Amino acid sequence: MKRIADIPGFPPLMACIGLLVFWDLVARYLAISGLPPAWDALKEVPVILADPEQLLNILSSIRRMVIGFFAALVFAIPVGLLMGRSRAVAAFFNPLLMTIYPVPKAALMPIIMLWLGVGDVSKILVIFLGVSLPVIYHSYQGARAVEQKMLWSAAAMGMGAPARLLRIVLPAALPEIMVGCRTGLVLALITMVTSEMIARQSGVGNILFNSLDLAQYGLVYATILIIGVMGFVLDVLFEKLREAVAGWAQPVHQIAVGSA
Amino acid sequence: MADSNPVIDIESLSKTFGTRRGTSHLAIADISLKVGDGEFVSILGPSGCGKSTLLYIVGGFEAPSTGAVLVDGKPVAGPGPDRGPVFQEFALFPWKTVLGNVMYGLLEQGVDRGQATDRARELLAMVHLSAYGNFYPKELSGGMKQRVAIARTLAYRPKILLMDEPFGALDAHTRTRLQNDLLDIWERDRKTVMFVTHSVEEAVFLSDRVAVMTRSPGRIKEIIPIDLPRPRKRAELLVNRRYQDYVVEIERLMELPPEEAQAS
Ligand SMILES: Nc1ncnc2c1ncn2[C@@H]1O[C@H](COP(=O)(O)OP(=O)(O)OP(=O)(O)O)[C@@H](O)[C@H]1O
Ligand SMILES: [Mg+2]
Repeated sequence: MKRIADIPGFPPLMACIGLLVFWDLVARYLAISGLPPAWDALKEVPVILADPEQLLNILSSIRRMVIGFFAALVFAIPVGLLMGRSRAVAAFFNPLLMTIYPVPKAALMPIIMLWLGVGDVSKILVIFLGVSLPVIYHSYQGARAVEQKMLWSAAAMGMGAPARLLRIVLPAALPEIMVGCRTGLVLALITMVTSEMIARQSGVGNILFNSLDLAQYGLVYATILIIGVMGFVLDVLFEKLREAVAGWAQPVHQIAVGSA
Repeated sequence: MADSNPVIDIESLSKTFGTRRGTSHLAIADISLKVGDGEFVSILGPSGCGKSTLLYIVGGFEAPSTGAVLVDGKPVAGPGPDRGPVFQEFALFPWKTVLGNVMYGLLEQGVDRGQATDRARELLAMVHLSAYGNFYPKELSGGMKQRVAIARTLAYRPKILLMDEPFGALDAHTRTRLQNDLLDIWERDRKTVMFVTHSVEEAVFLSDRVAVMTRSPGRIKEIIPIDLPRPRKRAELLVNRRYQDYVVEIERLMELPPEEAQAS
């Protein structure tokens, strides 16, 4: 017999509902002005989504995030792989990365805005930076861990070094790269919002912080809910993608469960 | 046989590794060995004496410090499809299926997909894995993985097989089966084989000659021709007096002398 907890999506759904009920009760009981009951926030969600202007805001956020995210992948994966396979490349990039790593990317926003203005380019650049670092790091680790004998086996088949990087190192490191991409995705969402907090002009962050200024707390929390759901949906989609391209790396029993 | 036109000609080969402490470490010293066409030569020696290093240099994966390796009279400058490696760690491509792994070298060499598939299936049959073409390496046992690795290497028809403890990670039973399979395959097309192992019985059972190396830095201590009839059957050999004598003789060679391993 199937247990209720085994139904896919059921446990997280219960957790969400539980959280909302808890939030609603606490807000009603404590009656803090900055914390509207969950129900009031939920009611605002369709209002936002039905407003064409707000919808445009959200879409422009997503557009910037997608551009920044993919630009980062195109840059970060090759750099990480090359760093993992060449000491010279690693020695070149390492100090640079070590310097940028601890800096919150959103903190760079004011400086970047000085150079590039408050428009899309600055925001995309911040997202790009935020996503690049974890992807570089994990690509690097993945490439470093590629078994030497695997590369030798390919070399013995007559494969040259550049082809090995593309056709052996890249697929072998893919599971690890995907871990970096997942972290990158979360960071893309975070930097997306924070960049819009600093350069308010359009976007989800713009809605969020404008309504905060106007003390429209229902709207504030509704926006937070929307961002949360976006993150959740992206993560689910990403997990599907990961399974498709790197499913071979899963432990055997998980493959068996998946195909059952 | 080994002296006239050797396929592999190892000429006073030495390899020195740099260590982290900035010193240098002599791994193998002045090794000379000729391997004839279709000959099966095993390398035995204590752990760390440089057996793998020797094999990697012949494979072109590592460069020698001094000396040279000639294959068919030409100096080895790097890896090539004339020398197929089989490693103890299998080194299969985990993102490819079993069939994909076995086909890989053929596709790499420009063989068309249909032909490569046929040949790969043929080889999988040879290593008794016909039913596993669509499996991924993760889903196989160690013995099955090594069969795939052997099939993958045989697929592109290297003239020479370089096997580094290929059965070292397997249990005794699987090991015996794979030894028999390897001998069957070898009887069929008589490739030239360099085979590194820790097992004296394995070396005697498989080889035409057994090269015993000294402790680090590895030199060749003695080369023993194994004059036992082929095709060899394990059950018959085990009660064969000459086989037993070979095993004892080589065991003795391996024990002596009990000098300390030298570290630098
Ligand atoms: N890449 C390397 N860098 C530095 N030293 C190395 C390297 N590879 C091997 N060595 C050294 O060379 C010596 C021989 O190593 P090798 O792996 O060839 O021995 P082996 O006979 O194959 O040992 P085993 O039987 O344990 O596999 C060892 O002392 C080892 O420390
Ligand atoms: Mg070894």
